[in-house]
Amino acid sequence: MSRVPEDTISRGLPGETVQPAPRTRREARERYRGSERRQARGLPSTSTGARSLRQAAKPGASLGAGYLGLGAAVLTGIEAVAGIIFFLIRWTEFTDPWLPAAAWALYLVAAVGVGLSLLTYGERLTGLAFALICVVLGCVVTLDFIGIWPEHDIAHSASASVAAGFALLPVATLRPAREVAAAIAVLGLAFVGMAVASTPITSDTLPAIVSTVALVTVPPSIALFVVHRFRQLVQRELDRVLVQSNVQAPQFAVGMLASDELARLDLAAEKLLDAVANGSDPLPLSDASASVAASLATELRLHLIEGRRETWLYHAITESDNLGRSVSVADPQSLAGHLSPAQRDGLLQTLWQMVGDGKQTQAGSPVVSVTLGPVGSDGHPVTDETMDVPVVFESRGVPRRRLGPTAWSALQRIGPYQDSVRDGVLHVVAHCVVDRHPSM
Amino acid sequence: MDFIAQERDRLLRSTTRVVGIVCALVSVVAVICALAVPVVPLLGGLACIAIMIAGFLVFGWNASVWWTALILASGLGALALLLLGVDEAARPIIASAVVPLAAGSISAPLMSQRGSPVGLGLTILAGAIVVVAIVWASGSVLAAPVTGALLGWVLIAVVTIWISRSIPRVARRIYSIGTAHRAERQASETEAQRRQGARLLHDTVLATLTLLAHSGVGVSEQAMREQAAEDARLLRHLRLGATPQPQQSGDYSLTREEESPLGQTLESVKQRFGRMGLEVSWHGTGQVLLPSNVLDAFLLALGECLENVRRHAGVGEAHVTIVHDNEMVRAMVTDSGVGFDLTHVSAERLGFKESVVNRLREVGGDAKLFSAPGSGTTVVLEAPR
Repeated sequence: MSRVPEDTISRGLPGETVQPAPRTRREARERYRGSERRQARGLPSTSTGARSLRQAAKPGASLGAGYLGLGAAVLTGIEAVAGIIFFLIRWTEFTDPWLPAAAWALYLVAAVGVGLSLLTYGERLTGLAFALICVVLGCVVTLDFIGIWPEHDIAHSASASVAAGFALLPVATLRPAREVAAAIAVLGLAFVGMAVASTPITSDTLPAIVSTVALVTVPPSIALFVVHRFRQLVQRELDRVLVQSNVQAPQFAVGMLASDELARLDLAAEKLLDAVANGSDPLPLSDASASVAASLATELRLHLIEGRRETWLYHAITESDNLGRSVSVADPQSLAGHLSPAQRDGLLQTLWQMVGDGKQTQAGSPVVSVTLGPVGSDGHPVTDETMDVPVVFESRGVPRRRLGPTAWSALQRIGPYQDSVRDGVLHVVAHCVVDRHPSM
Repeated sequence: MDFIAQERDRLLRSTTRVVGIVCALVSVVAVICALAVPVVPLLGGLACIAIMIAGFLVFGWNASVWWTALILASGLGALALLLLGVDEAARPIIASAVVPLAAGSISAPLMSQRGSPVGLGLTILAGAIVVVAIVWASGSVLAAPVTGALLGWVLIAVVTIWISRSIPRVARRIYSIGTAHRAERQASETEAQRRQGARLLHDTVLATLTLLAHSGVGVSEQAMREQAAEDARLLRHLRLGATPQPQQSGDYSLTREEESPLGQTLESVKQRFGRMGLEVSWHGTGQVLLPSNVLDAFLLALGECLENVRRHAGVGEAHVTIVHDNEMVRAMVTDSGVGFDLTHVSAERLGFKESVVNRLREVGGDAKLFSAPGSGTTVVLEAPR
């Protein structure tokens, strides 16, 4: 009889559908990433926090991108108005002004169409819609190029085709960066090709051609950069706000993931027992069901025994993507639980400031380490009611001069502190006076 | 709001840096392509652009007004050197080559002047000078370089306003997610405590699951079914948010009163093992009031001992004697089964230490084990009253 692997539980009960094996490498990678994120975050996948994080991390439209896209559309509009005015002023200079005019007309119709569809269907752009936009923009560029061919001076006659580059600005907020980058590259190459083919390349014309190609490709590329940084900002802030909820947590907490697991185990046990009771799982049990029962019992026992041993700080660090990667905590006596909400807030803020923007983080080497305790060491008095917990930070993330006033005022909220720098590592020892018998 | 404002400024500064440096480099390429600028002003202009790029790099993490001034001065210097260094004929060509510098690089500091009126004034002044210079160099207000420069400044201004407005908006949404998350965390914590608090229920569920893990061998099918149905019902009650309180025959008294009578719950333990085929005989008084956490630990330990008897002793009967004085309550679990040599089977291996001794010690009690091969086993459990 086939043995069921030990981790049957995590796959659900027999009879429930087990996820089929991944078919493509991409699928496997995404699934792996998803499971890893869930492990690292310590949040159940169905919670508001985990859902928001997933949404913020998805490529394409995400939290807050809609408003940013509206701003990009305003830029596109300004450029289009400027381009049309520029084109109309020079109308008489064109050999055949009607083809560029047709390009502008197509551009305007497409812009109105995309605008209306976004207003109707919300702030998202499907792959098909994006492909359609690219095709229309391709037509606009082609019409304009054919129209200005007789001028043999792309830099001073291209108008609607330049606007096509700006049309990618709002798209950059709604589609994954890779696709937009490809569109920018194609457009840039089209301009280079057209310039080489239509315009005699001399030292007189080249500067204007370079400026024109830059005008077409640089703004959407910068838009990609801004959107990328904006998304990072949103993810960091979301992470910070979610972790902040630990400040109000009791002295010891189960944590959201463990709590979710316990509920899930109880439900799995209930289903199994129900199946046994109503005879749908006949006795004596099959090997598979017996193995499920065994692992359920083991996991339940572990959850019940180990439930409430962790402090808010442990949960905060493990739940956070940013802090979890770069902060290590040593708190053998679980002293973090004694800190008041204001002190906890100060401690978290200090960590966020010391971690910085997390760019220099190498895997496996924490940037900041925090040690709480031991209680009763020299210069940290203990009385009947209160004790002075030494909170020691060792930070190599951000150099001391780059730590702003926010970091120092956050440290002040933990308690009086001394700081020193040794071998490029910033040491801070804070005297955190806490109640010995916390009410939380 | 403090943190997000800091992040916003950082985003604007890094955008300033990228726009400034990219546009300056494009201009450098265009100017060199023109081959129209004599060597001395060309080198001077390139040096100014190099200083400007260095200024942008520093500006990325130090937004002092002096760096803004340096960037603007070196940018305008480069513009002046390049436009004045060429003759009349080549000037419009150079004007179109420096459009990225004029429209992007010099306007970029506009993005990071929040809270710095001096820097903002300087930048706007520089903008005016740039437009005048480009108009003069290209010889017409309607020339393409002028449109380009003006457009650049307008676009940068719109970008600045829009990014500054987007961030508080998204911050509000993030904070409302945070509020929802905090409520969820509290609810989940309360729920976890309620579930973990239902210790007795979990003890009986664990006992049943352990039996099922051995495919329910050694227990009659009917008894197994009844037990499973009962446990599933209790779990369902727990899931639906009620404190499980079975109606029939005082089974499993799971009330969380401060003190619970021992006798009532002992009866439930007896019934449970009765169904599994182990007859438990009680001796001594059952009417002892215990604090609920002590009662939980005591009953758990007792249940574990009886489970060991059922599984290993090879007999169908166990005796439990309960005695108490003012401070302690003691239970003696005896069987006349096969027994074992304590030196051969360590207590840890039986799970005895974890499940019995530690649970009792947590509430200030203790447990002792006596056995020898062929002469049965006796366990003494102690718990404070």
